[in-house]
Amino acid sequence: MKRTDKKEHILVCLSSAPSNSKIIETAAKMAAAFGGEFTALYVQTPACERMLDEDKERLEVNVRYAEELGATVATVSGDNVALQIAEFSRLSSITKVVMGRSVVHKKGFLKKPMLTEQLIELAPDLDIYIIPDTSVKPKRQRERLFSKTSVLTVLKGLLISVLMLAVASLISLGFCYMGFTDANVITVYILAILGISILSESRLCWVLSSVAGVLLFNFLFIAPQFSFSSYKDGYIVTLIVMLTASFVTGSVALRIKNHARQSAKASYRTKLLLDTNQMLAKAKDAREIFDIAVNQTQKLLSCDVTLCEDEKKLSELSSAGRNISDEAGKLYYPLYTNDTLYGAVAVTADKKIDAFENSILLSILGECALALENERNAREKEASAILAEQEKLRANLLRAISHDLRTPLTSISGNADNLLANDEIFDPEVRRQIYRDIRDDSEWLTRLVENLLSVSRMGEGKSEIETTAELVSDVVDEAVARTERNAEGHKIRVEQSDAILLAKMNARLIVQVLINLIDNALKYTPDGSEIVIEYYGGEDKIFISVTDNGKGVPDEMKPRIFDMFYTGAGNIADSRRSLGLGLALCKSIVNAHGGEIYVTDNLPSGARFTFTLPREEVNICE
Amino acid sequence: MNKPMILVVEDDTPVRNLITMTLKAHDYKYISAQNGNNAIMEASSHNPDIVLLDLGLPDVDGVEVIERIRTWSDMPIIVISARSEDKDKIEALDAGADDYLTKPFSVDELLARLRVTQRRLASTRSESAGSVFLNGELSIDYAAGCAYISGEELHLTPIEYKILCLLSANVGKVLTHTFITQKIWGVAWENNVASLRVFMATLRKKIESAPNSPQYIQTHVGVGYRMIKVE
Repeated sequence: MKRTDKKEHILVCLSSAPSNSKIIETAAKMAAAFGGEFTALYVQTPACERMLDEDKERLEVNVRYAEELGATVATVSGDNVALQIAEFSRLSSITKVVMGRSVVHKKGFLKKPMLTEQLIELAPDLDIYIIPDTSVKPKRQRERLFSKTSVLTVLKGLLISVLMLAVASLISLGFCYMGFTDANVITVYILAILGISILSESRLCWVLSSVAGVLLFNFLFIAPQFSFSSYKDGYIVTLIVMLTASFVTGSVALRIKNHARQSAKASYRTKLLLDTNQMLAKAKDAREIFDIAVNQTQKLLSCDVTLCEDEKKLSELSSAGRNISDEAGKLYYPLYTNDTLYGAVAVTADKKIDAFENSILLSILGECALALENERNAREKEASAILAEQEKLRANLLRAISHDLRTPLTSISGNADNLLANDEIFDPEVRRQIYRDIRDDSEWLTRLVENLLSVSRMGEGKSEIETTAELVSDVVDEAVARTERNAEGHKIRVEQSDAILLAKMNARLIVQVLINLIDNALKYTPDGSEIVIEYYGGEDKIFISVTDNGKGVPDEMKPRIFDMFYTGAGNIADSRRSLGLGLALCKSIVNAHGGEIYVTDNLPSGARFTFTLPREEVNICE
Repeated sequence: MNKPMILVVEDDTPVRNLITMTLKAHDYKYISAQNGNNAIMEASSHNPDIVLLDLGLPDVDGVEVIERIRTWSDMPIIVISARSEDKDKIEALDAGADDYLTKPFSVDELLARLRVTQRRLASTRSESAGSVFLNGELSIDYAAGCAYISGEELHLTPIEYKILCLLSANVGKVLTHTFITQKIWGVAWENNVASLRVFMATLRKKIESAPNSPQYIQTHVGVGYRMIKVE
């Protein structure tokens, strides 16, 4: 069978009918039986505006019931219910539609085809399941016509009607005096009725004034004047035609008005959703998304809206899976996608939230929840990317270290073996050399360990190093004191600065940067070279530089010199320990402090490594 | 001068051998202990002049050993630590240790620390409770509230004078930033530590002839300051 591989998607049509819950139930059972998706659709028509309060309530109960049974509730609006259902089904790839059908047939020749018949015509592919609906009272339609309008609007409408009809009568009397034909008069009356149906809110007025217009015409213009009788038989037809024309124009005008109102609402909804979308696109973090959810809800409902941060309420929401209300009348709307609850907004509504507002609210909150989900996904992805990068670095580091550890360890243990085995055959000169080698190698290992410790101090996140305001001179002195011992043939000089310079730094790490830079200068310059350490304050930065007068750094090496495991000549081979870690570490330490490090040429010869640190001004506590 | 008696507390045999061999070569008397409980016992029964204490002991934490010894004695304690995190040293110093050494340390470094401590012991014994403090060219007249360098009066701000007094009262001992700011300002705020650095820099300019190789006040980056007893 072809259809089995396609996933079933059940659609149930919501209405305010009391029997609708039965239909929803049936649809839910079907959805469960087919294991398919379940959507509930409500089509808003102009008639919904005039719905009785009890009907509205029932509709809301039905909507909630559908949600409880696991349906995704959607609302569309339009005049033609069948067309809306067909379009929605096509777009959402609905396979089966469940709907109720009244068994009470409307009588009369003007009867519209049944909704189901229209739907079959519009969407022949759709499976339609009809649940008989016995309880619909056909007279409800008429009740609605008059009940919903308040006394004030009726009075206003009546006033307008009287005025319009009076004006029309006056004009018509003028026409009659000038000897125009009756046709002109009829047109004027129909025009007046058109005006009434546009201006007045009440349908009652339109009906009444249609009748009144015809009667007035009859009373004022048809001979015998000032009576409701007429001499000519033909006039009865004129009157009927006139009445019909009045009715039709009036109803068309009303329909246009309703349409305008509905499309205004639709465009308001679209605008609000579009605004929300644009804001969400700009939002940088979850906090901002929550703010948008609160602000847009506030804008929509114009009442007090806050973010719900009550853990208890949130857990209640996540178990309910829909909006809940508390004793104080506060409504809680969840922000959730695919079973994940991100938060909720608490609405203190002073009036009832109607179905239209509710549907927009749910769309806005849905968008926000989606944005939150995207934000979380992006964050997770970023975190895992950083983790992967760190993992890679760590692996590279371990490989390089184990290589660089072996060399000095071989030398130390070999030398010790030699001394243990044949101490007496070495002459004192050779023995001294061996002792010195052992010490140099272990010192080299010490440096390596210090650098590794700095790497571990740099830790996971880049910005997580602890910094304090430190005196630059203290740090420079410390670094010089710790390198001076190795500087046998070199001269190290510190250019004193008179100003008291403070920089925000992690002192251990910056000392390590300086030690690495000085060590490098010692290693790569011939004996007798001079190494100068200078520091001075810029406006918001402090510059610290280590300068030597050796051979300098070749231009082609400069761009890569701070890369990890880059060791000058490009050979990571067994040459000699040169764990290309020193400068790379310096760079990452300085960058983590928000500074930069660069190499320039010293004149006439040599290299100058400079790095910057953020300057710190301190308020002295006396 | 009599060579002091030193208690070496270290659980790692090669390092203990290294220390004791060094001490022997330089004519120090020593006793050794391999764990914390032993160390406390030896300290109470032999009353050594200086304790060299490794922080990572198998039974008791080094800091606890310091705290226990401090309940009855002021004997100088030099902490040896393989943990290079500053906060371990600071914890030990705040618990009452006088000085610290970080592994790996050189033999020269060890001997230098011992000499500093010895000088301090000698000075506290000779001039126990005078109203005048003497250290090389530096002198402080506590009663008059004045400090002099080479006989010349120093113009110190009240805070600088307070810091100088605090350092001189604890000569030879490393004082942590927290300790100093607590004593001077009563609270240890971040801003106070930054202020302290500035005051130290100005104070040093007034008393040191060469501020980048200080004679009197040593900086321990990330830890604190110490006044050195000058010969």
